[in-house]
Amino acid sequence: MKKETTKSAKAIRTRNNVLIHILLAVLAFIWVFPVLWVIMTSFRAEKGSYVSTFFPKAFTLDNYIKLFTDTTILNFPKMFMNTLVIAIFSCLLSTFFVLSAAYCLSRMRFKMRKPYMNMAMILGLFPGFMSMVAVYFILKAVGLTEGSLIRLALILCYSGGAALGFQIAKGFFDTTPYAIDEAAMIDGCTRWQVFTKITLPLSKPIIIYTILTSFISPWVDFIFAKVICRANADQYTVAIGLWKMLEKEYIDNWYTCFAAGAVLISIPIAILFLKLQKYYVNGMTGAVKG
Amino acid sequence: MSEVVIKNMKKIYDGGVTAVHDVNLEIKDKEFIVLVGPSGCGKSTTLRMVAGLEEISGGELYIDGKLCNDVEPKDRDIAMVFQSYALYPHMTVYDNMAFALKLKKVPKDEIDKKVREAAEILGITQYLERKPKALSGGQRQRVAIGRAMVRDPKVFLMDEPLSNLDAKLRNQMRAEIIKLRQRINTTFMYVTHDQTEAMTLGDRIVIMKDGFVNQIGTPEEVFDKPVNLFVAGFIGMPVMNFFDGCKLLKEGDTYYAQIRNAKFKLDDFQQRALKQNGQQPCDIVAGIRPQHISVGEGELEATIEVNEMLGSEVNLHARSDKDEVVMVIPTVDLKTDVSMGAKVKFTTQPKLIQLFDKATGNNLIWYDKASAEANAPVCAKY
Amino acid sequence: MKQLSREAELAARRVDVGHVTCMEALRSGGPETKASAFVMGLGNILHKQVGKGLIFLAAEVAYIAFMVLSGFHNLAMLPSLGSVEQQEVWNEELQVFLYTKGDQSILILLYGVATILVTLMMFWIWRGTLKSAYVAELLDKRGSHINTLADDLRGLLNENLYRLLMTPPMFFILVLTILPLVFMICMAFTNYSKIGDHLVLFDWVGLDNFMTLFDGSSVLGGTFWSVLGWTLVWAFFATFTNYFFGMILAILINRKGTRAKGFWRFCFVISCAVPMFVSLLIMRTMLQPEGAVNVLLRNLGLIASDASLPFFTNATWARVTVIVINIWVGVPYTLLQLTGVLQNIPGDLYEAADVDGATKVQQFFKITLPYMFYVTTPYLIATFTGNVNNFNVIYLLSGGDPVTNLASTAGETDLLVTWLYKLTIDKQYYNIGAVVGILTFVILAIGSLLTYRNSKSYKEEGGF
Repeated sequence: MKKETTKSAKAIRTRNNVLIHILLAVLAFIWVFPVLWVIMTSFRAEKGSYVSTFFPKAFTLDNYIKLFTDTTILNFPKMFMNTLVIAIFSCLLSTFFVLSAAYCLSRMRFKMRKPYMNMAMILGLFPGFMSMVAVYFILKAVGLTEGSLIRLALILCYSGGAALGFQIAKGFFDTTPYAIDEAAMIDGCTRWQVFTKITLPLSKPIIIYTILTSFISPWVDFIFAKVICRANADQYTVAIGLWKMLEKEYIDNWYTCFAAGAVLISIPIAILFLKLQKYYVNGMTGAVKG
Repeated sequence: MSEVVIKNMKKIYDGGVTAVHDVNLEIKDKEFIVLVGPSGCGKSTTLRMVAGLEEISGGELYIDGKLCNDVEPKDRDIAMVFQSYALYPHMTVYDNMAFALKLKKVPKDEIDKKVREAAEILGITQYLERKPKALSGGQRQRVAIGRAMVRDPKVFLMDEPLSNLDAKLRNQMRAEIIKLRQRINTTFMYVTHDQTEAMTLGDRIVIMKDGFVNQIGTPEEVFDKPVNLFVAGFIGMPVMNFFDGCKLLKEGDTYYAQIRNAKFKLDDFQQRALKQNGQQPCDIVAGIRPQHISVGEGELEATIEVNEMLGSEVNLHARSDKDEVVMVIPTVDLKTDVSMGAKVKFTTQPKLIQLFDKATGNNLIWYDKASAEANAPVCAKY
Repeated sequence: MKQLSREAELAARRVDVGHVTCMEALRSGGPETKASAFVMGLGNILHKQVGKGLIFLAAEVAYIAFMVLSGFHNLAMLPSLGSVEQQEVWNEELQVFLYTKGDQSILILLYGVATILVTLMMFWIWRGTLKSAYVAELLDKRGSHINTLADDLRGLLNENLYRLLMTPPMFFILVLTILPLVFMICMAFTNYSKIGDHLVLFDWVGLDNFMTLFDGSSVLGGTFWSVLGWTLVWAFFATFTNYFFGMILAILINRKGTRAKGFWRFCFVISCAVPMFVSLLIMRTMLQPEGAVNVLLRNLGLIASDASLPFFTNATWARVTVIVINIWVGVPYTLLQLTGVLQNIPGDLYEAADVDGATKVQQFFKITLPYMFYVTTPYLIATFTGNVNNFNVIYLLSGGDPVTNLASTAGETDLLVTWLYKLTIDKQYYNIGAVVGILTFVILAIGSLLTYRNSKSYKEEGGF
């Protein structure tokens, strides 16, 4: 009697497992499919954005080559360099701002602390680029909207408001026991020394997270970049370039190159994102400790 | 000379909450003082004010004669062992212990010498290259102590260092701390909620409740001469038996204590003390420690409800009318039947009865009214 | 217990900038402190803080110079926003028409707002210097140690570290976030717009723009209400479809019987590792009438060989498509977030439920769901907010299409934010755009406040 019931319970479980795995496989395919399609398209020999058949008839590497050699209309290598420079500097600046603000808000008590946190929350409710046009005018008034200073303008845009995104970093600092700070102060540290010698070494996960997220954002933002660059094609970032490739006048020649370009920038970002995944998951439940 | 003088120290938080009221304490050089009391009594806050981790809202703190109210923790020449040890997780044991000296720019070989010396004393030399997460609780605690020792501080502060250890380890470490105290001869200020630790470790004990200091005295003093109900009930295991609704009687010039149906003539010392105070007859709460009860004869009666045989002594939980009475009787003295359900007679010696004024809770004999009004440290009167 | 006398209490009180008030300084300060209200830094100089006092004085001089040179002019122009038009003037020497520089209202507005902000900051600094003078006076009277400039600088690395570390970020936030925002809000009360050719010179119009938008009968007003409606519907569906699918997927992957958990998660995550705008653009091309999906469906014979599904050309199809694609985009993120929370639910809750005889479905509704809701309420509110403002998905995917009403400025899938973008960038109706932005903020602010206050997690503060 007992044997039969355990056997059928097991059978039910196996059946459930099989069904669920099939379901997962189907869903996984749906999710991965567009990615596969882009990769296929980047190797497609036929031009244009219309396809009569699903799979490419011929494969080629021309699209990739074209990206780097055909710089007359859309200078991909230059855009890449622009974006790289902007990403590095805005990442440095952002990380400094975010960590400073998060540390002060987590560890120190001062009169403007609560008002600051409330202000950050309220500012976050405004549509992100409502102020975009205004920022453009301000930058123009200061003279940052022409020529190579555009890159500086973009760096400032991406990192300027960084200190408003202190929440995750602050959450992490909050989980480090305050007793360690106190022990360090008794041992003779000034608060700055506590920050540099004790807190930062213990915060590797959150530092990496902040650096990586602020590095990624200039690559994927195109609204701000478009507004500030306007027609200065030599200052374009990669995001604008890819967008332009899909515009009516370019799409026939550049559609497959768009796919190639998309693959090229997706690879490093994907790698970075996979590294970040760990911290992303823990972000809500309390941070990973080193 | 590392004496610590605390005058009228208080701590008031924003919002008006007073955590510590008026602490007055003079810690002599090389004395081991224990602050003890239930959670929330203000003992940790007081310690942290001495360390400089909390602002002092009122009063003065003198360390070695120097006014230290606004002095930074690092300049007070104190060292602290935290309840959670607070070791730096990213540094080895060696670096943890050397950290403070490195900040002071002490030469490398001197640092090495001091660290290894301390490690030797504490028996942690083999762990010097490990990181804290590779150590057990007891080992971490030693490292925390070592980190404090290396600094040769004037005052050693310890905030409930044994609370995070299991019972067996706690006993072991307690003995270690006593041995340690003999090797590093300096002033100690120790906070705990465990009265056993307080009694075994302290030269003098400061008992606190709700932010007020209730009594300061040696372990013997607080045991034998509790100044109020709280101290009497806090110190001593098992807890003192309290009999409510008793009376202090005066017949002619002689005082008697009426406990239920028994009338005790108080002994000479008590008579003198009460007379000196001009004590009038009043309602009292009488306190008798379980260890001070003898069974077999007497005017008081009780029925045994629980009988715990502990080997050398037996714990009896009895009921006498509405009172619950705990008695601790050495087995050798046992002549009557103390099995469950048995009815026994019990009594005590008058000099061992503690008399507490029912209205104020103060001990009629030991509570020093005059010095309390003068805001002096609260000690037993005689 | 003896009470400390009032003087003793006062004497024991901490004297530093954080514990004195401005009013106190003005009322109880000595003459030199009161004079510091007019000559910043005077009190400090007189009480042995020469370096600091001189710095304060320099700040005052700089501010006055600024106001005299341009500040007052900027403020004076604000009410009118300029009126001088650019004019052609015949220049005899050069024999050409030269353009005189006319007023540009937008710059006048900008300078005016900037001047106001600078003045407010100056006021805040003035208060600080007044308190500082008072503190110096008190400390001097007491005979306590008075900080030299070197002491103060050292303090910046220690107890005042927050001043050092928060100032640079705060400066940038003020210039690049707050100033533009205030600027845009002001625009909402002007007629800065292509309508009526008010792009160079414009004026204040008070609440007229708001009235227009609220008036359902006007073109803009009608558009506003319908866009608002769709925005709320979209935000609701986008948030909750992603939440539930993400949670179910997380549960499916996380359960005991599933093998290769890492592999499954990797598959889903790879789709969000690709930058969002890339995948959205790809999706858009794939769903065009001649795009990959339609071609595939034709090849599979599911639709006629010349037909195509109207993904973006039919209003309802477009709305559904957008929500469905958003699921593709968003589920990997919620999957990651929720997995973490899911893994933190104590396992013994489920074991106890098993012993008590609950089915898996019952366990889901009675254990998993309540716990998840409790922990993720702030996350849900933030996601809802984010979705109301979710520019990328709509703009890149459908571009707001289809546009059924040619007179209107918005398409059928436009959100308030994408409409804002079109109004501002494409149509140059800056003032209306600003109004839309403000209204979006108001809606969100009210919504967040209400939901957060009423949510269980706020009320119970951790009592799961």
